[in-house]
Amino acid sequence: MVKGIEAAGIPVVHMCTVTPISMTVGANRIVPTIAIPHPLGNPALTKEEEYELRKGLVEKALNALTTEVEGQTIFDK
Amino acid sequence: MKLEVGHIFIKDIQFGAESKIEDGVLYVSEEAVKAIVLEDEKIKSVKLDIAKPGESVRITPVKDVIEPRVKVEGRGGIFPGVIAKVDTVGSGKTYALKGMAVVTAGKIVGFQEGIIDMSGPGADYTPFSKLNNLVVVCEPIDEIKQHDYEQAVRFAGFRVAVYLGELARELTPDETKVYETYGIMEGKEKFPNLPRVAYVQMLQSQGLLHDTYVYGVDAKKTLSTIMNPTEVMDGAIVSGNCVSACDKNPTYVHENNPVVHDLFEEHGKTLNFVCQILTNENVYLADKMRSSDWTAKMCRLLDLDAVIVSQEGFGNPDTDLIMNCKKIEAEGVKTVIITDEYAGRDGKSQSLADADPAADAVITGGNANEVIILPKMDKVIGTLDYVNTIAGGNEHSLREDGTIEVEIQAITGATNETGFNCLSAR
Repeated sequence: MVKGIEAAGIPVVHMCTVTPISMTVGANRIVPTIAIPHPLGNPALTKEEEYELRKGLVEKALNALTTEVEGQTIFDK
Repeated sequence: MKLEVGHIFIKDIQFGAESKIEDGVLYVSEEAVKAIVLEDEKIKSVKLDIAKPGESVRITPVKDVIEPRVKVEGRGGIFPGVIAKVDTVGSGKTYALKGMAVVTAGKIVGFQEGIIDMSGPGADYTPFSKLNNLVVVCEPIDEIKQHDYEQAVRFAGFRVAVYLGELARELTPDETKVYETYGIMEGKEKFPNLPRVAYVQMLQSQGLLHDTYVYGVDAKKTLSTIMNPTEVMDGAIVSGNCVSACDKNPTYVHENNPVVHDLFEEHGKTLNFVCQILTNENVYLADKMRSSDWTAKMCRLLDLDAVIVSQEGFGNPDTDLIMNCKKIEAEGVKTVIITDEYAGRDGKSQSLADADPAADAVITGGNANEVIILPKMDKVIGTLDYVNTIAGGNEHSLREDGTIEVEIQAITGATNETGFNCLSAR
């Protein structure tokens, strides 16, 4: 899906836990997430902490979307 | 470490007033076995049934399959850290009841439990259709949490298997096999010219009902480690998982792991079987990286020439598999990996979620998406209530005429990734 949408000219950020698979399938902008059963959350955190975590991940993804990349890039900073 | 495994052939199972083994027939006291199962207050009721090869019987949803064994000499007991006290197993003498199994079934725990058909085309796909099976169908108490139910059924199966194994303690085995591995230096001196080979076994450890236990320890909380390959023959590894039925390793497979047995066949002849390396398949990327780092590090430390790596389950564990393969190869140790495929119903899709040029020697257990039509059976042990929702099924699986159309994914052991299955390209 990532490759299909990009082929239509729309940039995509792939948010995923297992970034090596994302690299293998050819995503260009990759944002690492938390864990496979809960990519965008963490049940170990309090509700407030989890909100911060989620907000941070979405901001990171939006930032990645507007960043020029030279080839496949993992936004792990 | 040296282990003698005595085989007691069980040609039939019958219910009887007293549990005993006589002339190859296992007589089971229903009352005694039910009492053992009901020791756990989380189990409300239990039904026992016997399923024999060739019968028009379907067992579903199958949770675990277990071979009864008893430790007659040497340290520890069967299922150390789970049923027996923690002690190093894998030496001395063990008896195994061959040709039979304890199968746990009943109301579904997760959504990935399987089907065992005792006859018809489905029977060809599961190795467990060839056994005389004592089926333990458990009904949990009301309002139990899924993970508590899973644990209760898991332990019930082990208790029953140990109880049946004990019946063989004073018997004389029909045949005995001897397995022995050596210390690192000892092995090198004994077989100076043979390649040093180990078995890297990846254990399903994704959590949420996808777990495996080593000496009672939850594998997702472990670092990669080494064992003597005879330890698994005493139940050092047990299954606690409801992963897709086709490629999870029931406890029976751990006890009889064909990779271990095949390596022992060649041990001292064409290779030196150094040890078994255990690693896990966790859901955090950092865990995947750490565990595969450790596996590769140990392969180097043990001065191995080659390893066989087996996977359990599919999907994201494909990445653990490829990481292990890549990193072990990078240490100069050759790898052969064993996996299975989810290549779509037509077999044309990409088989694994991950890949690498280092994975140039791959064995497949088969394509789990292949569709099969299972005929109606005269008798169902368990319930057909979940056939449409288990992995491999869909809302149309159970048809009005009683036949079932499913992917072979739903059949227990169909594409097993240790080679404990019946599929072949020939």
